[in-house]
Amino acid sequence: MIEVSDIVKSYSIGGQALKAVDHASFTVQQGEIISVIGHSGSGKTTLLSLVGGLTKPDSGKVIVDGTDIWSLDDNSRSHFRNRNMSFIYQFSSLIPTLTSLENILLPTAFGDFPGDVRAYAEELIERVGLKEKTNAYPSHLSGGQQRRIAIARAFINRPSVVLADEPTGDLDEETEQDIIRLFSEMNGALKTTFIIVTHNKEIAGQAARQLRMSNGILTGAA
Amino acid sequence: MKKIKISWLALKNLKRKFIRTFVLLLLVAVVTGTLLSATIFISGMQNALRIGTYRLGADVLVVPEKNESQAKAALLSGEPTSFYMDGDVYDKVKDVEGVKRASTQLFIKPTSFTCCYNVETFLVAFDPSTDFTVTPWLQKKLKKPLADDEVIAGSAMPLMTDDIIPFFGTPFNVAGTLEPTGMKFFDQSIFMTMQAAFEMAEKSKGRSVQPLELEKGKISAVLVQVEDGFTPERVAIRIEHQIEGIKAIASDEVTSTVRRQLAGLLKGILLISAILWILALLMTGFSFYMIVNERQRELGLLRAMGATKTHVFRLIITEAVILSLAGGIAGIVAGGGLLSVSKAVITRNLKLPYLLPSLPVLTELAAGALIFAVITGLLASLLPAVFASSMEPYDAIRKGE
Ligand SMILES: Nc1ncnc2c1ncn2[C@@H]1O[C@H](COP(=O)(O)OP(=O)(O)OP(=O)(O)O)[C@@H](O)[C@H]1O
Ligand SMILES: [Mg+2]
Repeated sequence: MIEVSDIVKSYSIGGQALKAVDHASFTVQQGEIISVIGHSGSGKTTLLSLVGGLTKPDSGKVIVDGTDIWSLDDNSRSHFRNRNMSFIYQFSSLIPTLTSLENILLPTAFGDFPGDVRAYAEELIERVGLKEKTNAYPSHLSGGQQRRIAIARAFINRPSVVLADEPTGDLDEETEQDIIRLFSEMNGALKTTFIIVTHNKEIAGQAARQLRMSNGILTGAA
Repeated sequence: MKKIKISWLALKNLKRKFIRTFVLLLLVAVVTGTLLSATIFISGMQNALRIGTYRLGADVLVVPEKNESQAKAALLSGEPTSFYMDGDVYDKVKDVEGVKRASTQLFIKPTSFTCCYNVETFLVAFDPSTDFTVTPWLQKKLKKPLADDEVIAGSAMPLMTDDIIPFFGTPFNVAGTLEPTGMKFFDQSIFMTMQAAFEMAEKSKGRSVQPLELEKGKISAVLVQVEDGFTPERVAIRIEHQIEGIKAIASDEVTSTVRRQLAGLLKGILLISAILWILALLMTGFSFYMIVNERQRELGLLRAMGATKTHVFRLIITEAVILSLAGGIAGIVAGGGLLSVSKAVITRNLKLPYLLPSLPVLTELAAGALIFAVITGLLASLLPAVFASSMEPYDAIRKGE
């Protein structure tokens, strides 16, 4: 479960304060899929980063599975991310010198991963339908394939929360549908919570709930 | 591969920009190699100078008055000769003011029947307990003090350790060999103890066709090292003044000129090395700053995956350590090669005595050079690593765009 209460994040641009996220509060139940929509520059990515512990809020609280993540020190927060959270980005986030399999295994460099992680990574790569690309480098994969590998990587730590920032941006419709299907599969299998930022109305519509950002202000939250 | 390790990741990163990695590696190699060979060269020269004077092996040579020219010929061109004086000259020389060390030697000219080699050999008996001119040239330290049935062979002698060679009917075991010195006196001589020489002479009466006429207690020369603050010339004059019937030959001017030239050369080498090092440090540091800068987003992504600040710091530092370790090893190998080439050139062209430090010292120097290379890498990557690890993950991911 995610409980966000009254978070604020502002930047000063040219001496002027810009509230990228302005007193946002919302709750997401475990296993829920919610979407966040809004214009460019409305603060969606900032919100996701605050929830994911990547940028510090000026004020407010983010509680993930009972842990107040901004009360942790940087190390503990990193470990918390490593164990409980994953991010998916719009841009290619694979390391070019690593193969698909190695990219999926990358998070294992930073924490304890009991069990046969390699077998699990292979299982994930099969799930995203790219078994034949196991040892391929990112430069030999299409944009959609790269995104699927990044999604597989997001599940290597069996996260309780996946934060996706326009995961289907600049992909064709069919691939988009593939990815959405993958998310709901994972959601069904692992009860993973998803917060998906998207410009795409259709995807937003498929989510259980929709939040809307506009000029840093969040609406539609329960 | 089960889990991914940070060192493995670092290696992959280094391979990514192969040319840059290679150039940096080369740089570290050049600096390490130069520094190492300069150090070895310097310590080699210092060794050589510490041993004694460049040609004579001593600051002053005391010989019988009438044998001055023979003595000079023997020392300068290694021409075998024999002449003797009383042993008490040594005790008198020792007490002269300005004399730091003195050691006796006995020159014996072997007859053509005694040696079976084509090379002209010169027999020199010395006193191992006071010696400072012969044993420092030993290739390897003797395992035990030189026995009376053992000899040390000059580098030009076709002999190896454990060979047996007879003189005046007495067989001798070769206990050790000398480094090439560029001086015939050392390179073409066979060295034995005083006691051995006297015993050999005694036995030769029965064994040799041409017995060796040598009275016990006689010596040919006293080699003198002067105290700091005294010039060889001054001490030589003092010795001649105080002792009758002898000639004290001071080491010639060449020596001090060589020393002066050498000091200048060494300073130059040190300066160049220091400049090279600072340059390498700056360049490596700048490169690592660039590496970190262009990988900001990637590092931010690693943080998002759960990498701690320490993980990121370690990743950058590990890359630097791998790079400098590889560069350091390459530099040591190259420097070693350069040195063995230059050794021959120096000995031949400059006619300078040149001694490589012993193997343990060489190993120590090489290890020191490696540590030095790694420290250079660490220093160069420290600031970039701190910078990389202190970025806020979100900032890093954004700025990488
Ligand atoms: N590190 C930063 N420094 C200064 N301003 C920032 C920073 N990060 C975000 N902003 C500003 O905050 C606002 C919200 O940015 P954010 O990236 O969250 O928007 P967004 O909704 O994700 O937009 P898009 O749909 O284009 O990705 C923008 O005006 C942006 O310029
Ligand atoms: Mg955004």
